Amino acid sequence: MKFHQITGVILITLCMFSFSAIAQEQLSGLEIIQNVYNRPAPQDQEGTLTMTLINSRGDERIRKIKQYIKDYGSEEKKIMFFLSPADVRDTSFMNWSYDEADRDDDQWIYLPALKRVKRISSDSKSDYFMGSDFTYDDLGDRHPSEDTHKLLREETFDGENCYVVESVPKEEDYMYSRTVTWIIKDKWIGMKKEFYDEDSEHLKTLSVEKFEEMKDYWIITNSKMHNVQKDHTTDMLLENLTLDAGMSDNSFTERMMKRGIR
Amino acid sequence: MNSFFQRILKFPKMLLVSILLISIAFFIVMKKNTRMETDLDEYMPQKHPAFVYSNQAEEWFNIQDGVIIAIEYSAGIYNSGTLQKMKELTKALQNMDEIEKADVTSLYTADNIVGTELGLDVKPFFKNVPKSEEKLTNLRQSVRENEMIYERLVNKDETVTVIIAEIKDDVFSQEFYHRLLDLAKDYEGPEKLYVAGRPIVEGTMAYLGPADMKRMVPIVIAVIIIVLLLVQRSIKAGLFTILVVLFSVVWAFGLMAALCIPIYAVSTMIPVMLIAIGVADGIHLYSHLHIYLRKNPRADKKTAVLDMLKKMWKPVVMTSVTTAVGFISLLTSEVYPIKYFGVFTAFGVMMAMFFSLLLIPAGILVFGLPRWKDRNKSGKQHENRFLNSIASLVIRHKYTTLFATIIIVAVSVWGATKVWINSSFLDKFEKDSDIVQTDTFINENFGGTSTLNVILDSEKEDAFKQPEILEAIDRLQNDVDGSMQVVGNSFALTDYLKRMNKVMHADSAAYNVIPESKELVAQYLLLYEMSGDPENLWKVVDYNYQKANLTFQLKSDNSIALNSTIAQIEEHTPALKELGVNINYAGSGYKGLVFTDLILEGQIKSLVMSLIIVVILLSLMFKKFSAGLIGAVPITITAIISFGVMGLLDIPLSTTTALLSSIAIGIGIDYAVHFIERYKIYAEETNEQGLTGRKTMQHSGRAIAFNALVVIAGFLVLLASVFPPNRALGALVSMNMFTSFVGTVTIMYLLLVRLNIYFKKNK
Repeated sequence: MKFHQITGVILITLCMFSFSAIAQEQLSGLEIIQNVYNRPAPQDQEGTLTMTLINSRGDERIRKIKQYIKDYGSEEKKIMFFLSPADVRDTSFMNWSYDEADRDDDQWIYLPALKRVKRISSDSKSDYFMGSDFTYDDLGDRHPSEDTHKLLREETFDGENCYVVESVPKEEDYMYSRTVTWIIKDKWIGMKKEFYDEDSEHLKTLSVEKFEEMKDYWIITNSKMHNVQKDHTTDMLLENLTLDAGMSDNSFTERMMKRGIR
Repeated sequence: MNSFFQRILKFPKMLLVSILLISIAFFIVMKKNTRMETDLDEYMPQKHPAFVYSNQAEEWFNIQDGVIIAIEYSAGIYNSGTLQKMKELTKALQNMDEIEKADVTSLYTADNIVGTELGLDVKPFFKNVPKSEEKLTNLRQSVRENEMIYERLVNKDETVTVIIAEIKDDVFSQEFYHRLLDLAKDYEGPEKLYVAGRPIVEGTMAYLGPADMKRMVPIVIAVIIIVLLLVQRSIKAGLFTILVVLFSVVWAFGLMAALCIPIYAVSTMIPVMLIAIGVADGIHLYSHLHIYLRKNPRADKKTAVLDMLKKMWKPVVMTSVTTAVGFISLLTSEVYPIKYFGVFTAFGVMMAMFFSLLLIPAGILVFGLPRWKDRNKSGKQHENRFLNSIASLVIRHKYTTLFATIIIVAVSVWGATKVWINSSFLDKFEKDSDIVQTDTFINENFGGTSTLNVILDSEKEDAFKQPEILEAIDRLQNDVDGSMQVVGNSFALTDYLKRMNKVMHADSAAYNVIPESKELVAQYLLLYEMSGDPENLWKVVDYNYQKANLTFQLKSDNSIALNSTIAQIEEHTPALKELGVNINYAGSGYKGLVFTDLILEGQIKSLVMSLIIVVILLSLMFKKFSAGLIGAVPITITAIISFGVMGLLDIPLSTTTALLSSIAIGIGIDYAVHFIERYKIYAEETNEQGLTGRKTMQHSGRAIAFNALVVIAGFLVLLASVFPPNRALGALVSMNMFTSFVGTVTIMYLLLVRLNIYFKKNK
C-alpha cells in the first residue's frame, strides 16, 4: 500500500511535471495574459509616487503624490494627495474603479483653494491621467477577456526570457488597435508594451525600469511611458511602499480628502 | 581700347558661335537645375532677432497658420445633416498626410468645459451626431453658453461653423490646395463651403505672382521686339538688340542655376530689370551707327563698326558700370533673395554690356550692316523736329521748366510722405477674387483670418499662475479687443481660467474673472489637466508657466491693422514690465511685417548709397563734380515722382513695388550718361550751345526716346496681368521710363545749358 501510494504520488507528480512542461510549451496568448492578470497583488498599498513629465524639448515637471490603494476584488479604491508643487499641495484626488466593463470610474477632486470637493467625470478610460502619458486604462488592470491574445514568439529581452503577446481589442473604436507585450516567464510581469493607435501606427511604449520582490509580490516600482508621436515621456517612480497594512475603509471618503495627510 | 576691339573682332564668327554655345550651355543648366522657391520662410532673414524669437515661440507653442474651412447653411447649422458633414470633413482633414490629427479644431473636436451639478466636466460637444430635436437644442445651448467656442467656431447667428486645420509652413502646395477645394466641393449643397486662411493666401500668392510673370514676360518681350523693329526700322538691329537682352537674362539665370541658387519671387524681377535696362545699349549703338552712315553713306561695315565702338564704348561701359553698382548696393540688404537679386541683376547688366560691345559689332561684321528703310531722309525729319522743339522750348521757357519741375517734385515729395508700407498678402489679390471674398466672408462672421501672437515671458517660474499678472493680461485683452475694430477676438490662458472659475461657481457670471489666488489658479489647471486634453494648454502657456501665448485674431493682414494693434498692445507694456513680464511678438503675420520693413529699409539705404556712388562715378567719368550732380538729377526726379505717384494713388509699398527704385536708378543713369557724354563731345566739336543741344537731341535724345518708347510699350502689357502687383509693376516701370526720359531732355538739359558746362569760359 505504502509503496503503491508512493509510486502513485511519484507517478502523479511525474505526470504533472511532464504535463506542466508540455502545458508550458503550449501556453496560449490568453493563458499568458491571464497569468499576468492573476499575478498575486497586495490587498492594499501605500506609497509615494513621483511623476515626472518630460516634453519633447526636455522640459520637466515633477509631481510628488502620496497614494493609498485598496483592492476590494470587484472594485479598487484609490486616494492621492499632492505633496508638491507647493501651489497644489493638499489637493487630493479619489478614484473608485469597477470591474464591470461599462461602468465608469467615480472620481472626486478636492481643491484646497476652493475648500470644496468636486466630482469630475471621466467619460472614458481613454482619458490621460493628470496630463501624463498613461490613460486610466493603462494604469488599471484590463481584463483578459476584453482582447484577443496571440503568442507571437518567445525571446530574450533585457536578459529575461519573455513571451511576446499581441492583444487586439474586441471592442471596435477602442483607443488602441493593438498592443504587443513582452512578459517575463515565471514572474508574469509585462516588461515592455507597445501601443498602436487606431491607424495602426506606433503610439506609445511602456517600459518597466525596475521591479522588486516585496512580501512575495512582484511590484513594479519604476516605469516609463513614452509617447513616440508627441515625444512626451512620463516616468512613474514608487517609493516608501507599505503593503498589506490593513488599510481602513474610512480612508477612502470625501472627509479624508479634505483632511489631507497629517 | 580700339586695338582691343580690332583684335577681338578679327574673328567675328568665332565670337558669335562661342557666345551662342556658352548661352546654350547656360540654358541647359538653367533648364536642369532651376528650382523655384515657394516657401516664404526661405525668404526671411532667419538670423534677425525678431525672426529667431518668433521661430522659437512658434516651436514653444506649436503656433502654425490654419487653413479655415467654413460651412454655411442659411437655415442654421444645428441640423444633423450639416453637423454630419462637419464631422466627416473634420475626420477627412485629420486623415490628410499634411495635417496632424491633433491640429484640427472644429465643434466636433473641441473641448467643452462645463459645470455640472457635481463639478467640472471637460468633454466633446458630441461624439455621435445628435439627431433628435431635443439633443440639437441642447447642443446649441451648450455652444451659446461657452465663450471659448461661441463666435469662434460657430458664428453669432448660427449659420456658419468653421473647421481650422493648422499646417506646417512647408506643406502647402497648389496640389494640396486643390485637394482641399475638391474635398470641400464634395460636401457642397445645400450647404456652401469656403476655404480660406493664411497658408492659402500665402501659397497662392507665392505661386500666382511668378506664374503670371512667366506668362506675361514672353508677351512683354514680343511687344518689345515689335516696337524695337518699328523704331529701329531694321530687323537685324532689332534682333541683335533683343538678343543682347535675352542672352544676358539666360546667363544671369544660368549662373544662378549653376550655383544652385533657387529662384525666389523677387528673382522674377531680374528679366524685368534686364529688359528695361539692357535694350538701351543696343539702341544707342545702332542709333550712332545710323547717324554715322547717314553722314558717311559709303563707309564699309568694318569702318562703321569701329567708329561706333570708338565713340560709344565709353558711355556704354559707364552706364553699365554705374547701373551695376546701383544693384550691387542691394548687398546691404538683410534679405538674402534681395542680395541675390542685386548681384545677379548686376551680373546681367554687365553681360548686357559685354554682348552689346561684342555681339552687336560681330553681328554686323558677319551679317552685314542693317539696311535702314529711311535712308532717303524722309522719316527722320519728324523725329528731329520733335526733339529739337523740346530743346528750344526748354531753353526758351527755362523758368517755366524750372518751376514746373519744382512743383512736380514738391507735389511728389508731399505724395511720398503718404506712401505706406503694406506687408499684406491678401491685398495683392483682386477684390473680387475667390480668395478675397472667402476671406471677407469669414472675417464678417468670425474673429478674423489673420493672427497676431503676443508672447509674454517672465524670469520667474510660475509667473503665469499669479493673479495680478493674469489680470493684467486680461485687461490687455479686453482693451485691445474692445477698442479696436480690426481685432475680432483674443485667446489666452486667461480664457481657460475664467471659464473654469465660472463653471466651478455654478455658471455664475460674477465668477467669469481670474481666480483670486495663485493656489486656486494652479488647482484649476491641475483639474483641467485631469479632465481635459492638456495638449491644448501648451498652446497658451509653457510647462513652467514662464511663457504665455496670447493670440489676437484680426480681420485684416495689412500693415496698418498689425501696427495699430501692436501700438495698442504696447500701451500695456509698462504695466506688465512692472510685474516682470516682457512682451514680444510672433507668428507669420508679424514676421511678414518685419520682413517688409527690412526690405524697405534696405531699399532706401541702397537707394541713398547708390545715388552717392553714382554722383561720385559720374564726377570721375566726366571729370567734373557739377556733371556728376547734374547726372544725378533725372534719377532723383524719377525716384521722387515714383514714390510720389504711389503715395497719391494709394499704391502701398510692397516687396515688388519697392524694387522699382532700382529701375529708376538703372534707367536714369543710362539716359543721363549717354546724354551728357554726347553733349560733351558735341560741345567740344562745335563750341556752340544751340547746335550742341540740337545735335545731342538728335543723337542721344533720339536713342533715349526710342529706348523709353520700347520699354514703355513692353511694360504696358503687364497692365493685362491677372495679378495686381504685376499690374502696378508694369504701370510704374512705364512711368519711370517716361519721367526719366522727360527729366533728361528737359531739366537736365536745361541745367547743362545754364551751368555752361563744357564750354570755354570766354564764350
